[in-house]
Amino acid sequence: MGLSRREFLKRTAALTAASYVGMNLPVSLEGEAQAADADSWHPGTCRLCGSGCRLELGVKNGQAVALRGISKSRTNFGYLCMKGMLFYKLMGQNHPERLKKPLYRAKKDQPFKEISWDEALDIAAKEFAKAVKAHGNNSVAYYGSGQALTEETYIFQKIMRGGLQTNNVEGNPRLCMASAVGGYLTSFGADEPIGSYDNFERASCFFIIGSNTAEAHPVLFRRIMRRKMDNRDRVKVINADPRISPTSRISDLDLVFEPGTDLAMLNAMAYVIIEEKLYDEDFLKNYSVFRKGKDKKQVSFEEYKKFLSAYTPEKAAQICGGNITAEKIRTAARWFATSEGTMSIWTMGINQRSRGVWANNLIHNLHILTGQLCRPGADSFSLTGQPNACGGVREGGGLCHILPAHRLVKKDKLRHQVEKLWGIPQGRIPPKPGYHTMAMFEAVNQGKIKAIWINCTSPAQSLPNCDKYIKGMARDDVFMVVTDIFPTRTTELANLIMPTAFIFEKTGVYGCTERRSQLTRKAVDAPGDARPEVWIVREWALRLSKELNDPVIKKCVEPFMGKEPDYELPKAIWDEYTQKLTKDRDNDLRGATYEVLEQLPDGVQWPAPTKEFALKGGTDIKFVRGIDPLADKHAKNEMPYQFYGPAHPDKKLWIWLRPQKGPQEMPDAHYPFYLSTGRVIDHWHTSSMTGRIPELMRANPYAFVEINPKDAEKMGIKPGDMVEVTSRRGRNILPAKVYVGPCEGMVFVYWHDMYSDRMINRVTNDVWDPGSKEPEFKICACRIKKVSGPKPLKPFIVQMKS
Amino acid sequence: MPIGGFVVNLHPDKIPEGLARLEMMEGLEIHGSDEKGNVVVVLESQTSEQMEEMVKDIMAVEQVLSVGLTYFNAEDEVEKIKAGTYVPERSFGRKPLH
Repeated sequence: MGLSRREFLKRTAALTAASYVGMNLPVSLEGEAQAADADSWHPGTCRLCGSGCRLELGVKNGQAVALRGISKSRTNFGYLCMKGMLFYKLMGQNHPERLKKPLYRAKKDQPFKEISWDEALDIAAKEFAKAVKAHGNNSVAYYGSGQALTEETYIFQKIMRGGLQTNNVEGNPRLCMASAVGGYLTSFGADEPIGSYDNFERASCFFIIGSNTAEAHPVLFRRIMRRKMDNRDRVKVINADPRISPTSRISDLDLVFEPGTDLAMLNAMAYVIIEEKLYDEDFLKNYSVFRKGKDKKQVSFEEYKKFLSAYTPEKAAQICGGNITAEKIRTAARWFATSEGTMSIWTMGINQRSRGVWANNLIHNLHILTGQLCRPGADSFSLTGQPNACGGVREGGGLCHILPAHRLVKKDKLRHQVEKLWGIPQGRIPPKPGYHTMAMFEAVNQGKIKAIWINCTSPAQSLPNCDKYIKGMARDDVFMVVTDIFPTRTTELANLIMPTAFIFEKTGVYGCTERRSQLTRKAVDAPGDARPEVWIVREWALRLSKELNDPVIKKCVEPFMGKEPDYELPKAIWDEYTQKLTKDRDNDLRGATYEVLEQLPDGVQWPAPTKEFALKGGTDIKFVRGIDPLADKHAKNEMPYQFYGPAHPDKKLWIWLRPQKGPQEMPDAHYPFYLSTGRVIDHWHTSSMTGRIPELMRANPYAFVEINPKDAEKMGIKPGDMVEVTSRRGRNILPAKVYVGPCEGMVFVYWHDMYSDRMINRVTNDVWDPGSKEPEFKICACRIKKVSGPKPLKPFIVQMKS
Repeated sequence: MPIGGFVVNLHPDKIPEGLARLEMMEGLEIHGSDEKGNVVVVLESQTSEQMEEMVKDIMAVEQVLSVGLTYFNAEDEVEKIKAGTYVPERSFGRKPLH
């Protein structure tokens, strides 16, 4: 009996879902003569967060029509969230607002006009060459993205450093991950987490701090939820956050501390662990040392104990305010220390602080003290926000102070290695790191940077205190190229816009949170004249070489000449990066060739020095002999763990003495509230992609300001009232959501809205962590005032003026 | 007219109440459930706007802990886009900044 098409698709949907949970349904599709639901299915990675969910894109008549999860993938086991469900609409011909032609204007008050690729590439080359000739190599810059493919970040930074001889290479991961990098390097001696997602199924205690996992990483949250619900007596969940969020639905203990008091709370947990002798004496003795201060001075256990005496749970509870009690801190510390495996999870609540690196250190401290590392379920695990912040930017050399494969710019030996591997003259890469993100845009403000290339990100909306930096980007003596798929607040400030291909419209690798590299191959054509970035950069570099009469620039792209851009070109770039640059580095990816990645449902975790090893999936726990091949290779003794990280010459884990430090701006009589910002489930970052999916816009069409009911009552604010949120830098006017989310004395605003009155980064503070240079998005002081009753509002997305 | 296959997770202590709430929803078919609180659900709607509302409604149900998408098909909508009879809603405010 034939089914109707809809019935067929519904059964397909039901059977797919049932297969995930091992459920047998009384229906099947056996013997159905129906045409398949798609012509072909193409494996790839969702690009809308850092989880690395694998999915297959269903293509029919050359267009994306369907999605399904890949159940064998160890990142998501086939589950996707709503963001993934709808991004097919951004692809190929499916969205009318995609950028399709290069656009140019000489002056920023002129309208854009369509030009050819030849013209666009000529203009980009001439303007960068002009800046270099007139103002020197450091007058040009690249600002990239944790959403760019690894091949893209790698080739951009190669041309900037090897070709244009500047380390002005940065990317938006500076705004989200830099403090996590700093934390891993200073605590463990090596960047990126030790373990993997599979600890979700093994942990007995989850310590979630500064992360609304339920909304920001829903597919990973599902795994935590399942673990908790299947083992309710055995598994504890602690949620530490100034704001109650849907993540608390599964928590046993909520630690609602006042913003900026997390360092005191974490130190108090360490105090309890030591006072009650819950630490792992052998682990401490064998693998760790205590250090303090800028000079990393080694100190004794006794000195650490003495330092902690300022953070008894009673004292910390006073500092932390909110609903924190000494007993809650003690309970959290006991659960943390005594569980069979404790996994900490955090994101921007910890990283986006003026002491973000310290906050990371103090979480790692708890794991080192208790030996909650390197064994099943035990890990200190930072979640990434973007799909390729780890892979492309942290590993591929996408920040001003690092070269590919975790090499520091300032180390002569490492710099010369890179020059040799690239076949360019020694001394070509300058020894001084370039501008970090905030310094880069300050240099734009001051007119020191004359030409900047912004790829796949929107700093005009995402920088803190953005009005200040928009002024620089709007300068007519700053030539700005933007490569993107949609118009954004940043394309509005560009001279030249080049339309690019989206995921599944080009080929390349993303590296997600758990050191896992995954390949997505082209499945559909990009709309109009949109092109892959790797082609754009290669063609630009050839023109630059002519303009500057510099054959070394051409040399940088020589290995990539003549390759077709949809597969061969990115493959050649990936090969150079992995086979040459990662060889014998801690992120050794030589085994993870395209050929290997194509065979695996979910990619490879580095280190993976050989193909054989990579085909087994790579390294799921670093530093453990018998699991991590580099732990065996670098072994100095018979101990089971070998902390060979390049940043710690003593090959030890470092426990840091870090005091409580509040935010740089505290509430006062004039600005009495804390302001914090974050994400809601439907929107991602500046919403230039999710904002174009009508369903997502409808769910949360504009940003709100969340106000605790007690504060709302005091201020005479009712739900829906229009509220002015003002800081020393700027103001927004937003509708109020009166809600027991934020604690008293704090308001919370979503940061996705592009409408100028609701762009919260006009209000946030642009101070940054002195270690990681990551800005303090999460905390500043503000005041709030009702300006009117509810008003009808319209959602807003930037449109192209043509 | 999109079709979606989901695993909805109910709180294991509240399965009957949760199922009762889900059963009342229009356009939602329950294909099976187990003692852990996994519920296999198919959503069918006239428009993707409706589908979105339905997912939101499910997430708002007190007994629901998470909603996981496993399969999604929107071939009808893509056909309409191609034929020009449906334009994915253009965004709303067109006012340029400068």
